[in-house]
Amino acid sequence: MRKTAILIILASLTASAAFADDSGGNPHRYGRQVRFVGIHPIPKSEGGGMCNIEGPHVHIYAANKIEYRDHAGDNYFVGDPVAYHYDGPKYAYKGPHPIHVDAVVGGPDDVEYCYIEGPHYHYFRPPVDNDFKVVGDTYFYVAEPPHAFVEARPMYVGINATYRPLVYTRPVVEVDAPVGWIGARAEFVTPGVVVETPGVIVEDHRHHGREGGVIVGGGAAVGVGVGVGVTVVAPPPPSISIGVGVGVGVGGGAVIHEREHEHHDNGRHRGWR
Amino acid sequence: MKRAAIILVLAACGSGGNASRDAVIAAWKSGGLAPPAFTAVKDSPVGKDCQAGTVNSVDVMVCTFATADEAKAAQDVGLKWVGDTTGISQAKGSVLIVAADRKKADPKGDTINKLVKLAP
Repeated sequence: MRKTAILIILASLTASAAFADDSGGNPHRYGRQVRFVGIHPIPKSEGGGMCNIEGPHVHIYAANKIEYRDHAGDNYFVGDPVAYHYDGPKYAYKGPHPIHVDAVVGGPDDVEYCYIEGPHYHYFRPPVDNDFKVVGDTYFYVAEPPHAFVEARPMYVGINATYRPLVYTRPVVEVDAPVGWIGARAEFVTPGVVVETPGVIVEDHRHHGREGGVIVGGGAAVGVGVGVGVTVVAPPPPSISIGVGVGVGVGGGAVIHEREHEHHDNGRHRGWR
Repeated sequence: MKRAAIILVLAACGSGGNASRDAVIAAWKSGGLAPPAFTAVKDSPVGKDCQAGTVNSVDVMVCTFATADEAKAAQDVGLKWVGDTTGISQAKGSVLIVAADRKKADPKGDTINKLVKLAP
């Protein structure tokens, strides 16, 4: 009886394997395919540059988690295509903002978020509504950010560390940001390191950690602060630290001077503050 | 008389697929692509009426269906035909356009993008 049961289980497992596709459980792709929608950068290992296929398509390479969002099973690029030698129509933005993905590539309603803090480009305009203000040909997001926008920020703010070292022609924004600009909101003014709990990274030679190296005192540092300048680590209670010399004021109406770097790189703007 | 009408209807249905495919291929030609003569694909798992050819060194298959919904439903099977390479499987009305860059002749996807965008 027991032998029969085992045989039945084995038979059903074999049958399941025989009928399964080779898509790793996703019926919308096969083999090693990875689904994309919209234009996006091609990894250097695959030749670099931009893939210009606008609709849904597949490649045999992965999409990273910082620059792509899921749109109905497809990977949608939310970064700055100009950083990857895109030379098509482009629109300047300053600071984080929502992206209505369905308006760009079709498909179901889907709002994703771009967390690039400085001036950057996208190949699409935002929808015409009161959530964006155009000042000096640059789009500023001025609406109340949805909870999901703020909540997901720690997961994606690392895109700034990815883009900051990239050398490419960024938009030059020398205008006053409109009142209500998201970049002036406390939740989004974090060019430095967000410290969840009091703590300073200390190299302790007396009490080595597990690996005999650095001990993080009092808590973990979260977020990204590459190349911003001086990072102020705030004492308790939990608080947000702000890099020095960033040129962003809190409270709206911030004056943004974006040309700091342009005299040193022959017109190619490195960094965005 | 009734039999003649049925034959006429059937003939119209039969040429509908070709007409849609011909329209797609004509659009490609006028858009600067150079599609060769497409040949019928026997027993294609993607559809009953499929023709394949090569456009700018990209493998292309065009299948016609009775309805747009059927073409859309076949998109996933089209991806299986694409296999492990860059490609698309996109319904345009009752026509399914499947393309696979097996020779890596279209590194930026320009040809593949045109195949879809030019199709009516």
